Amino acid sequence: MFGLLATTKLGEATSGGGFWMPENASTTGSAVDDVFYFINNINYFFFILVIVILVVFAIKYHVKPSAHVNFASDAPTHNTPLELTWTTIPLLIVGVLFWLGMDGYLHLADPPDNAYPVSVTAQKWSWTFEHAEYGVTESAELTVPLGQPVRLLMTTPDVLHSLYIPAFRVKQDVVPGRYTSLWFEATKPGQYRLYCTEYCGKDHSKMLAVVTVLPEEEFQKHLGKLAREYEDIADKDLPVYALTRLYNRCASCHSLDGKSGTGPSFKGLLERTKSGTTVFTDGSTLKDKMGPGGEFEVPENYLRDSILNPQHYIVQNYAGTMPTFKGQLKQRQIDALVLMLKNHDKLVDAQGNPIEAPNLDDADISMGAGK
Amino acid sequence: MTTIDNTSLQAPALGGDNYLTHTRGFLSWALTLDHKRIGVLYLVSVLTCFLLGGVFALLVRTQLIIPDGLILNQDEYNQAFTIHGGVMVFLVILPGIPAALGNFVLPIMLGAKDVAFPRLNLFSYWLWVTGAVLLVISIFAGLDTGWTFYTPYSIDHNSAMGGVIPAVSGAFILGFAGIFTGMNFIVTIHRLRPDGMNWFRMPLFLWSIYATAVIQVLATPVLGITLALLAVERAFGIGIFNPALGGDPVLYQHFFWFYSHPAVYIMILPAMGVISEVIAVHSHRHIFGYHFIAWSSIAIAIFSFLVWGHHMFTSGQSPLMNVIFSFITFSVGIPSAVKVFNWLATMYKGAISWNTTMLWGMGFIFLFMIGGLTGMYLGTIATDIHLHDTYFVVAHFHYTMMGSALVGFIAGLHHWWPKITGKMFNENAGRLAFVLFMIGYNMTFFPQFMLGSHGMPRRYATYPADAGFQMYNVISTYGSYLMAISFFVMAGYFISSIFKGHRAAANPWGGRSLEWQCASPPPHDNFSEQPAVGDCYDFSVLRWDEATHGYVWREDVEHPGHDVEHA
Repeated sequence: MFGLLATTKLGEATSGGGFWMPENASTTGSAVDDVFYFINNINYFFFILVIVILVVFAIKYHVKPSAHVNFASDAPTHNTPLELTWTTIPLLIVGVLFWLGMDGYLHLADPPDNAYPVSVTAQKWSWTFEHAEYGVTESAELTVPLGQPVRLLMTTPDVLHSLYIPAFRVKQDVVPGRYTSLWFEATKPGQYRLYCTEYCGKDHSKMLAVVTVLPEEEFQKHLGKLAREYEDIADKDLPVYALTRLYNRCASCHSLDGKSGTGPSFKGLLERTKSGTTVFTDGSTLKDKMGPGGEFEVPENYLRDSILNPQHYIVQNYAGTMPTFKGQLKQRQIDALVLMLKNHDKLVDAQGNPIEAPNLDDADISMGAGK
Repeated sequence: MTTIDNTSLQAPALGGDNYLTHTRGFLSWALTLDHKRIGVLYLVSVLTCFLLGGVFALLVRTQLIIPDGLILNQDEYNQAFTIHGGVMVFLVILPGIPAALGNFVLPIMLGAKDVAFPRLNLFSYWLWVTGAVLLVISIFAGLDTGWTFYTPYSIDHNSAMGGVIPAVSGAFILGFAGIFTGMNFIVTIHRLRPDGMNWFRMPLFLWSIYATAVIQVLATPVLGITLALLAVERAFGIGIFNPALGGDPVLYQHFFWFYSHPAVYIMILPAMGVISEVIAVHSHRHIFGYHFIAWSSIAIAIFSFLVWGHHMFTSGQSPLMNVIFSFITFSVGIPSAVKVFNWLATMYKGAISWNTTMLWGMGFIFLFMIGGLTGMYLGTIATDIHLHDTYFVVAHFHYTMMGSALVGFIAGLHHWWPKITGKMFNENAGRLAFVLFMIGYNMTFFPQFMLGSHGMPRRYATYPADAGFQMYNVISTYGSYLMAISFFVMAGYFISSIFKGHRAAANPWGGRSLEWQCASPPPHDNFSEQPAVGDCYDFSVLRWDEATHGYVWREDVEHPGHDVEHA
C-alpha cells in the first residue's frame, strides 16, 4: 500500500525476459524486439563470417617469425567486381534496416487519439505524475490502466531529464522550456521500473519510479481512492501519510537520520526552527525573522515557506538547489509534512528507518485544521 | 645494373648521430622544432594522460561492483566519470594517433625533413599542454557535467558547481592545437611529397591522416564557437542556451554533435590507417584494393558531417529529422565495412607473422566488428529509443573508441616503436599483454551490452539491487582490473626495451614505405637526400637479412631511385 515499499516488490517484473531483452509489457515493444532480433541475426552472420575468415587466414598463411618470407606476388592486389559486391550487399542490408527502424519509430511517434493523459514534471531528482481526470498527483509511483494507450506530456523546470521504461521500450528526453511526450499501451498488469536516463546531476541515479499497471476497473478504484486519500485520512494518521506517501519526493536530499545531504536533514529540523538557530547564506539567523511582528509569526510558517518558496532563504553551507512545490502539494498535504516533522522521533528510529507501527497516541497533531 | 646507394637502408654505427642524441638538454626538447621530438613529447604526454584517465576508469568500475556503490559518493562518482571521459577523449584518443604517431611518422613517410611549418608544430604542442593543464585543473574545481557539457546543466550554477569555464577553455585551446596540427599535415601532404609519390602512391596511413586533418580543420571551429558561447552563457547569461532566458538547450546538442560526431572519426580514421599499414606489412602482402580503402577514408570524412542528429533521437527533435539522420547514419557504415573486407583480402595468400603488432592488428578487426555491428542497433531508430543513454551505448562506443581507436594507437605504437626508440621490445611479453588485454577488454565491455539492453542507464553512481544488474557489473569490474594488468605488462616491456632491448634494424618488419628506409632511430634530418619511391606495398623487392635482423633491398632488384635518376 505504501509507495516506499513498492520498490521491493519488483523482482518478478525484472527477472523476466531473455538473454538480450528484458520482458516486454507494451503493445509497441514486440515490434522493437523483432527489429532487435532481426539485426541480431544479421550481425551474428557477418561477425562469424569475418572472424572465421580472419582466423582461417591467420592460421593458413602463418609463417614463423624471421623464417624465409614468401612475398606472394601472385596474389591479386584488387578486384573491382568483388569490391563493388561487398560494397553493395551491406548497402542493401542497411537499407532494409533503415526502413524497419523508421517504420517502427513512426508508429511510436504517433499517439492514438483516445490516449489517457498524464502530465509529468521531472525535477532534480524526483518525478511528479498528475492525473488531471482524477485530480491526483503521484510521485514515486505512476499508476496506469491496462490495455489503454497512455500519453505522458512532460516538462521540467530545471535541467534535462529523460523518462525511460525499459519494459515498454519507450524513452523521451524531458526538456526545460518545452513539452515533450511519449505514449505506450501496457499489455500485462504488474510493476515496472522507470528511470531517468539523461544525466541531471548529483542524485541522477536515484531518480527512479515504479510504473504500476492495473486492470481498468482496479485502476479507477485506485485513483479514486488516491484522490480522496488525504481528505479521508484521520488527522492523527497524517504524519504517517506524509512519511509514506510524500516523503519520497524529499528523500534524495533530506535524510531522516541526521546526515547532511543536498539539503539539511529532517531530524531535529523542527527543534532547530523553533530555537531559531538556523543561519542563512546571507548571514542572518532565523531567530531575527521569527516571532510576533516578524516575517514568520510561528515556526510552522517558516517550514511552509521553505516548501513553497525554497529560494527565499537558503541555509548556510547548502547550495539551495531545491525546487518549489507550489501547486503540487495541497494545503492538507503541507500540513501533513509539518506534522511529520513535528513527530519525527516517533516515526523513525535513530538510524532513520521508519518504525513499523509507530505509537502516535500522544502525537502532536495540532495542525489538522487545514482540511 | 648500377650499384645501389644502400646507405639509407642500413643502421648507423653504434653511437652514431640520431634525433635522440643530436642535441642535449631540457631546452633542446622543450623548444625543439624536430617533428620526431615533438611526436615523442606528445607521446609521453598522451600516455601520462592515459594513466590519469585509466585511474578514474578503475574508480568508476570499482564503485559499481555493488548496487549502492563501493567507494564514492554521488558527487565524487559524477566527477570521476566526467574526468575519465574528458581526459580520454580530449587528451588521449583525439591526439593519440595524429599528434603523437602522426607527427613522428608523417614527414618521414613523405621522405621530408620535417612538417611544412615546424614552428607552428611546436606552438601546437604547447597550446595542447596549456589546454590539458586547464582541463586537469577543472578536476580540482569539481567539474561534474560529463565530457559533453550538456546545457542547461552546465550553465546552471545550482547544478554544475565548478570547473565548467576552465574545462571548456581547455577544450577550446586543445581545439586550436588540433586545428594547427591538421593544417600543418594538410600542407605537408600537399607540398612535400617526394618525386614519384603521387596521391595514389601515398601510404594509406597518410590518406587517413589527411582525411582526419580535413575534419579537424573544418569541424573543430564549430566546437570552439560552441564552447565559447557556453562559457559566455554561464558567466553572463546571454540567453542562447538557457531556456529561462529564451534560449534553447537542445541547440547546444546540435552544435556540440556537429563537431563531436566528426570527432569520432578524427579518432577512428587514423586508427584505420594504422591498421592498413600493420595488416599489409605484417602479412607481407600487397594491400588489397588500395583505391577503395583510400576513397573510403574520404567518404567517411564527408559523411561524418551529416550524421550528428543520431545522437539526438530521443531529444525531442522532429520525427522527420530523426528519419533523415537515421538514413545518412547507415550510409557511413558502408566505407567501414569496405575497409574490413579489404583487410581480410590483404591477408589472403599473405605470409602472416604472429608477432605482437599483427596480433593487435587482428584484435582491432575483432573489436571493430563488434563496435561497428552494434552501431546498427543504434542507427535503427526503433531500437535506439530503447537503447539510447543506456550501458548498451557505453559498450558500443568503448568498442569503437577504445577497442578500435585506442587499439589502433597501440598497434601503431608497437609497429613504430623500433623506429621511434631504435630498440626491439620483447615479443613474448607483448603477446602476453595482448591476450590479457583481449580477455580483460571483452569481460569489461561485452556484459555492458546486456546491462544496457536490460535497461541500466549510463552515468549511474548506484543502481537498484534487485534489477539483475549486479552480475554484469561484477564481471565488468573484474575485466577492467585484468585490462589494467595488461597495460602494466605493456608499460613494463616498453620501458625495459629502452634499456635492454636489442638494437632495431632500419626495417625490422619488412615495410616498404619510406620510414623503413631510414635508420632506427632516424637521424636528425631523416634522409640525407630526398628518397625516391615506388609502390609502397610491393614487398617483393625485400629480403630478410639474418645479419642485421631486418629486411633489406634484394640485390637483384633495382632501386626505384634509379628509375627517377635515369628517367
